[in-house]
Amino acid sequence: MGQRVAIIGAGMTKFVRRAQETGKELAWQAAKAALDSCGLTLKDIDCVSLGTAPDAFDGVHMKGEYLSDGSGGWRKPYIRHFVGGGTGVFAPIHGWFHVASGVFDTCLVVCSEKMSSCHPHPQGAFKTIFDHTTEQPLDPTLIWIFALEYNRYMQTYGISKRDIALVSVKNKKNAMDHPAAQLPMEITVDDVLNSELLAWPVNRLDISPASDGAAAIVLAGERTARRLTDKPVWIEGVGWNLDTAYWATRDLSYPRYVEKAARMAYEMAGIKEPKKEIEIAEPYDPFTYKELHHMEGLLLADRGEAPQLLVDGVTQRDGDRPMCPSGGALGVGNPISATGLMKVIEIFLQLRGEAGKRQVPGNPTCGLAQAWGDLMQVGTVIVLKNR
Amino acid sequence: MALSERIDRNVDLTHFEGKIPVSYVYTYGLGLEKFFRAIKDKGEFLASKCPECGTTYFPCRIFCERCFSEISDTYKVPGTGRVESFTVCHLNMDGTKKETPQVVGLIRMDGAEDATFVHLLDISPSRASIGMRVKPVLKPKKEREGSILDIISFKP
Repeated sequence: MGQRVAIIGAGMTKFVRRAQETGKELAWQAAKAALDSCGLTLKDIDCVSLGTAPDAFDGVHMKGEYLSDGSGGWRKPYIRHFVGGGTGVFAPIHGWFHVASGVFDTCLVVCSEKMSSCHPHPQGAFKTIFDHTTEQPLDPTLIWIFALEYNRYMQTYGISKRDIALVSVKNKKNAMDHPAAQLPMEITVDDVLNSELLAWPVNRLDISPASDGAAAIVLAGERTARRLTDKPVWIEGVGWNLDTAYWATRDLSYPRYVEKAARMAYEMAGIKEPKKEIEIAEPYDPFTYKELHHMEGLLLADRGEAPQLLVDGVTQRDGDRPMCPSGGALGVGNPISATGLMKVIEIFLQLRGEAGKRQVPGNPTCGLAQAWGDLMQVGTVIVLKNR
Repeated sequence: MALSERIDRNVDLTHFEGKIPVSYVYTYGLGLEKFFRAIKDKGEFLASKCPECGTTYFPCRIFCERCFSEISDTYKVPGTGRVESFTVCHLNMDGTKKETPQVVGLIRMDGAEDATFVHLLDISPSRASIGMRVKPVLKPKKEREGSILDIISFKP
């Protein structure tokens, strides 16, 4: 390995249903805030990595090129990467390649998404991620996949909708302390169960919203990081993995690809017992059951046991294993790529003790963020430590 | 209430409408062409099996994603299977309510057990269950046109 890599700064916009700002303006706001947070200017940045989800959301073809100015790409080594919903956590991994290799010393990592341009709703764009010959003629919606997986997960382990609904209650409440949150609210399990039924077993309050927003971080090699901050947060492990291209054929009750991504990251970070060593996590929660499903894939709960940890309060901010202290995609919002990076930023702030009202007790030293995407079969994982 | 009604705010100079004017002509590909010809002409269902690692595919494919071997043969399966999971959809793509809820199933195919296949289930939502046996319903031969919609649905 060329050199150790730290996150030294972070910034993000509010997540909203429809921003007046364009995607590139959102990118600039987040990137500028990230640079300001560590006292750097664009001149100090060696290279830029952009993460953004399908071009069809924005209705802008070659979105990487379109977002380049707002991302700080002018006359720099600049590249866009994309693994669907997994993009936001792949973003710091992609930036890490640049700096860990020793080729660059600083990297600005930006994720920007403007889903509201897609009219009347990004469902139309999501439809075209399905196979054009065998699936699109059936008029599928994205919710099919989740509903089928949710049902399979419940059936395999005998889990109730009532227990799973608690994820929404917890995360939307956590989001009340997040200044960028789109859907912070205090709700009950019955509110979730009585919200509009979209595709059984998925109700309206089981789903994260479509959002506009951007997030950005600044990465630096070890020597530069130590010179610029006394609170660097180190990227200690990275992992990513892809399951079958035929999504319907996956094991729907267990995300094996997340486990493989997690094991890759744990091995790099020297983590032997994730349940003990990962003190805080931001698993991807675009749907309620996914937080639980992903905790199991991340080996932070035994298979089928995550709901019990939730019911017992273990995953609350003041519990032994806090999950989504930010409020997650369910509470803060879900501008696809920016969501994953928001989760990385949350762990960064928590490990620096700078999460304000969201700060978990006990001075955590090691945390992870995870996202999931493509045709719902890619897992991306990053492990961060503050020492 | 449709999503389109909810998000439109008619404020001066904030937004305008646009579209990307493209359309496409897709080929079936070498594997799926055989699959759809068999349904259209004979009302038969073709699967394939990797000669190296034994992984089964439905519909038939020409290569194995696991070991990268070429798969040149196909074989007939009955088209029947077992429901692995299901959902009941209540909304249309634009957020409006469906007149009748639509049941969608993941079906593990008999004779190609590594494969599950997604299609519509012709059954009332209250009768759908994981594990139930289902069989395909085809359109009459003269109406079949080589589409996944030649299979109308699966029913118990």
